[in-house]
Amino acid sequence: MYTYDTIDKAMLADRSQEFRGQVARRLAGDLTEDQFKPLRLMNGLYLQLHAYMLRVAIPYGSLNPAQLRKLAWIGRTYDKGYGHFTTRTNLQFHWIKLADTPDILDHLASVDMHAIQTSGNCIRNTTTDPYAGATAEEVDDPRVWAEAIRQWSTFHPEFSFLPRKFKIAITAAPKDRTAARVHDIGLVLKRARDGSLGFEVIVGGGMGRTPYVGPTVKEFLPVNRLLSYLEAILRVYNRHGRRDNIYKARIKILVAALGKDEFAKQVEAEWAKIGEGADLPDTELARIRGAFAQTAFETLPAHSEAFEAAKASNPAFARFVRNNLKPHKKAGYGIVEVSLKGIGDTPGDASSEQMEVVADLAERYGLNDIRVTHEQNLVLPHVKLDDVPAVWAALHEAGIATPNINLVSDIIACPGLDYCALANARAIPIAQQIAEKFRDQDRAEKVGELKIKISGCINACGHHHVGHIGILGVDKKGEEFYQLTLGGSGAEDAAVGSMLGPALPYEKVADAVDTLVDVYLRERQDGERFLDTFRRTGVTPFKEAVYADAH
Amino acid sequence: MKALTANRLTDGEVVFWKAGQWVTRFADAELWADDDPAAVQAEASGKAQPTVVVDAYLIDLVESEGLWAPLSYRERIRALGPSNHLHHGKQAEGGAVIEALQHAHGAARSTGRVNLIKRK
Repeated sequence: MYTYDTIDKAMLADRSQEFRGQVARRLAGDLTEDQFKPLRLMNGLYLQLHAYMLRVAIPYGSLNPAQLRKLAWIGRTYDKGYGHFTTRTNLQFHWIKLADTPDILDHLASVDMHAIQTSGNCIRNTTTDPYAGATAEEVDDPRVWAEAIRQWSTFHPEFSFLPRKFKIAITAAPKDRTAARVHDIGLVLKRARDGSLGFEVIVGGGMGRTPYVGPTVKEFLPVNRLLSYLEAILRVYNRHGRRDNIYKARIKILVAALGKDEFAKQVEAEWAKIGEGADLPDTELARIRGAFAQTAFETLPAHSEAFEAAKASNPAFARFVRNNLKPHKKAGYGIVEVSLKGIGDTPGDASSEQMEVVADLAERYGLNDIRVTHEQNLVLPHVKLDDVPAVWAALHEAGIATPNINLVSDIIACPGLDYCALANARAIPIAQQIAEKFRDQDRAEKVGELKIKISGCINACGHHHVGHIGILGVDKKGEEFYQLTLGGSGAEDAAVGSMLGPALPYEKVADAVDTLVDVYLRERQDGERFLDTFRRTGVTPFKEAVYADAH
Repeated sequence: MKALTANRLTDGEVVFWKAGQWVTRFADAELWADDDPAAVQAEASGKAQPTVVVDAYLIDLVESEGLWAPLSYRERIRALGPSNHLHHGKQAEGGAVIEALQHAHGAARSTGRVNLIKRK
């Protein structure tokens, strides 16, 4: 993975020192809360319901074992022994003290980590494919471009005070594991017939109050022109974005208002003015690319006796393999998904001990590589098939081998009203109740791929708009109610879900999901996923079943 | 009835007003009748302590099991802790007031909080 150079390290040290001074001035009363708030937010520090929350950046979801161990140590030392992985592939500590924060930033900096670009109206952490560098599906390693964007965007003076926050996703595989089409900018790496690489550039997707699947504004941007083109997009946004109205300030509103053709025209005009001078020099690109070249792969047979024997003798391991092991580009290797969705657990939470287990496994069996997915799980991207039984045994022992990746209990949920100052309703207990309904793994596997996503408010951190079943917590006269949407997708077939019907009270939601699954199992035709069946039948059979009591 | 709440500046801990001091347990909070001017005076005093607390505001209470509990669900979670980790936050201590909060119903928006947001 990319290693920070002396410039990066000096920046982190300076930043931490600067924040130490700002915290001291706040505690002494030299800064008011109104003056201090934007400063702490620029360092990922929020004040939530019970304590401060520190959001640590995990650039493009990539970690090494030393970093994950440090996060575990911070969780144990300064929090309650755990951390929460988010849909931005970051990690949040929910019980942080303001006075401890400068020390925590120093500890993070000691392993090249920080909380930069985790809040504020800047370019946030770029999402990439958690299988990058491991899947045969990709045409290039998207981390190379994500790292280039990190270096370009961090503290970029022109893009530090945008009209609103700004999120970019990059996928290099046709199977989109980044939700690229619902980002402010989605970049899909493609190879042209002549062998050259380029990006399909999607602008103006997003969720929140006004969800959009983003339109493609450029079909094929040569890869070496990426940064100048991004600069042109950001300039048009900076100039015309709605700073007067926070609800209309995201770029999706601008793209929708101008129309994609006019927006693209303005970007092209700006791009022509910028020229090639703003692009990444080939030498720098080569330096970054070199950091991601994985040279430690062994030449192995595609077939592993040890792996096949374990599968044949241990049904629990075989189930894990069916659901959590994904094909690797190198023969004899696999991609292991570590589920942070234990039945009854909080989606995305990992204890310090669990983080240490994953760090140890990455070191021993995984080429020191760990990824965070936007679906709030972890990935060991390079594990020899020979070693998968040992990895499974250790994960199982630690309670993070639940064989449910992409199944109904692999639920995205934001922290919701249990922690978040913005939330209207709880998300976590709803996820726990639904997962309990599908504790029987046979039934869960029979249901197959079903993505449930839950947000505790309209800001949609839980990606509810793009859930096959989306659940949005709302406040109805102070009571927790939940609006269900069906048919959304954050993948390559991106779509915004449609409303099922009137919002349901807290205690009815899990039963309603159970009913929706029953309707799907009744209606589905050969090989259809829940999403396919919904798209074929429409909402009617689902609606009739859930609201049958009301008739 | 009303109580005054805020988050402590140094650590974000949820605190309640009691006779000129901030206390951490809702059970110890000072309560006022809805029309008691002392509540508004306490709110003004709390707001005048910007190096001690952040965002002081009055919350509405409702009777639960013979005791008083915050009316809004949000404020009950603040006074208890997260419902997914019952050993985290103030609820870990247990006791009659904690149980009354856990069993309280009749949620409504936290009026004090809404006023705070409107003022910003």
